[in-house]
Amino acid sequence: MSLVPILDRRVVLVSGKGGVGRTTASAALARAAARAGKRVLVTEIEEPAAQTQSSLARMFGREVLPTRPVLLAPGIHGCVLSTEHGTEQFLGDVFRVQTLARMALRNAALRRLLHAGPSFHEMGVFYHLLHLIRMTSPDGRPRFDFIVLDMPATGHTLALTGLPDILLRLVRRGPIASALREGQGWLNDRRTGTAIIVTIPEPLPVTESLELVAGLRSTRMDVGAIFVNRIPVDPFDDAQRAALAELLPDGPLYGKEELERLERARLSIERLREHARVPLVFVPQFDADGVGATEAMAEHLSEELRR
Amino acid sequence: MSRLADHVRNKRIVICCGAGGVGKTTTSAALAVAAAQDGRRVLVLTIDPSKRLAEALGVTANTPDPIRVSPEREAEAGIRGGALSAWMLDPKQVSDATVARLVRDPARARELLDNPIYQQVTEMIAGMQEYTAMEALHGFVERDEYDLVILDTPPARNALNFLDAPRRLGEFLDGRIFQMLLPDRDGGGRLGGTTRRMASKVLGGVFGDEFYADLQVFFAAFSSIFAQLNGNAQKMRERLQQDDAIFLLVTSPVRTALDDALYFEDRIRELELPLGGLILNRSRHDVEDKPFPGPELLPAHATEVHKAALRNLRRLAERERQHEQEHQQLLSTLIEHAPADIEVLTVPEVPGGIDDLEGLGGLARWLLDDANAHLGAAAT
Repeated sequence: MSLVPILDRRVVLVSGKGGVGRTTASAALARAAARAGKRVLVTEIEEPAAQTQSSLARMFGREVLPTRPVLLAPGIHGCVLSTEHGTEQFLGDVFRVQTLARMALRNAALRRLLHAGPSFHEMGVFYHLLHLIRMTSPDGRPRFDFIVLDMPATGHTLALTGLPDILLRLVRRGPIASALREGQGWLNDRRTGTAIIVTIPEPLPVTESLELVAGLRSTRMDVGAIFVNRIPVDPFDDAQRAALAELLPDGPLYGKEELERLERARLSIERLREHARVPLVFVPQFDADGVGATEAMAEHLSEELRR
Repeated sequence: MSRLADHVRNKRIVICCGAGGVGKTTTSAALAVAAAQDGRRVLVLTIDPSKRLAEALGVTANTPDPIRVSPEREAEAGIRGGALSAWMLDPKQVSDATVARLVRDPARARELLDNPIYQQVTEMIAGMQEYTAMEALHGFVERDEYDLVILDTPPARNALNFLDAPRRLGEFLDGRIFQMLLPDRDGGGRLGGTTRRMASKVLGGVFGDEFYADLQVFFAAFSSIFAQLNGNAQKMRERLQQDDAIFLLVTSPVRTALDDALYFEDRIRELELPLGGLILNRSRHDVEDKPFPGPELLPAHATEVHKAALRNLRRLAERERQHEQEHQQLLSTLIEHAPADIEVLTVPEVPGGIDDLEGLGGLARWLLDDANAHLGAAAT
């Protein structure tokens, strides 16, 4: 594993192309961290279409996640990162006198500006995340010492990790600038922040993961690991492989596609080993789905991340 | 002829929607190839193709105009007579071109293009990617160089973000926001002095006075342009309600596919937009008759190793068959719930993905094959 174990970071962004099991991996990572005694918060970015069901919530047997952390499982809280909530929080923090903040938020045009204006959407999300990082318990320790963020499509990941640099070029002073610098401090310091890329051992997802590694590094984000998910189990030993060649007919046959998949998986892993220069964590294909899959994966990750 | 084949032959605009990772870009490209095979002049607008698909189509980022696929390469995809062009959508470029078009005075246009806020704005305004996709579509449809324009919508978790984006941008472009930000020329204007003073105090406090000043300059320069952009977005929205446009939902065989499809259908009807069909991508439902491995494969003097290899092969075969059955089940459920006027189409899983024109050509033929189209069975 890397020099700083994943479970010792404060903020972990989980990224990856749709359909590779990224959300399952986020939930499993949260469970693995909770087993290791961390006070875990698992989050995702709120979608503008409010009706969208949350698959992250479903991993914990719920339909949606609220904006304030709720207990999902022992040691694990969950909430969405919401632009609106982040913006309100921000205004509240900037104007210690609450009247002005409240007045501002009652103004419809201003609310809309803050909702849709330049980068305000990402900024709201960013500030909400910062607020959750800052939260402390009565004993003064961080309220959450392991925050997992299940990121949407990879473009959005780079929009969030690249936000501080872009905005700081425009806004150099004032409360936004200091919030951005503080957040950047958490995310870009590899002792506290990292990104995990989830992928599957297939040619196109691996290509995109390699591109994402480069993209994240260009926003100065550490890549802590690539989780290679759904690795098919190769049941054949060398002798059986040789015998298999004698068995297979030329025409179509059930099982041939799975054999090709094994071969693609082998080549994909080779490519990752050669080019990613990031620790690889292998996750086998689990038969279960939903809550069952996250538990099986969490079990597996607990082992892997301890090494 | 399947309805999709009919759409590809006759429509002028096809919009492919779908969550990220379902193979929307490949499907869009394959539909474009299908129409070009049919002799039409086709343009596919795509946002973020994988490197290899971009190479297959011959597009690179930042080209000012669409790139026509060379005739030799078109032939690889089975295109004779038609023409296939592709363009990688670049929000900044679309936005710059729009400014240049709308601002007649070149000095003023320059001033806008040089504004530091403007230079970031295409990346920063919520929904800008979706909006520029609309704007580009608008431009290409107006110009009439293509018989068919296919739009591959920006990646999002939710297939409908694309439809929501212009509305969100419209809210942002709301005139009152500008009023609030514009420098105070006439002692308060419609908003009144109190609101403006409050806004100024809030925004100055939030952004810092320096950035707030930049922001005011930016909005002063941009207010008229925004109004016009907003008009275009609205026009395009209405344009898409006409019957030469069609929306397709691309989905993959996941457990939520049915819910996603039903939700999409509801929303799209609500918006009075034409739904052209559901495409179930990467489906492994039984597409060919094939034998199951059995003892007949064993050689005459089979060893224990041969037998063990066969047992393991049968295990793989079992997994493969189980996948097919699950996908078959999902397809049946989709057909059962889709209304009678909606077509459900299947696209097979192509091992390793498609990354060349020949592959796209094959996929195109598959998409238009009657045998792979099923009309919904639910009562409307």
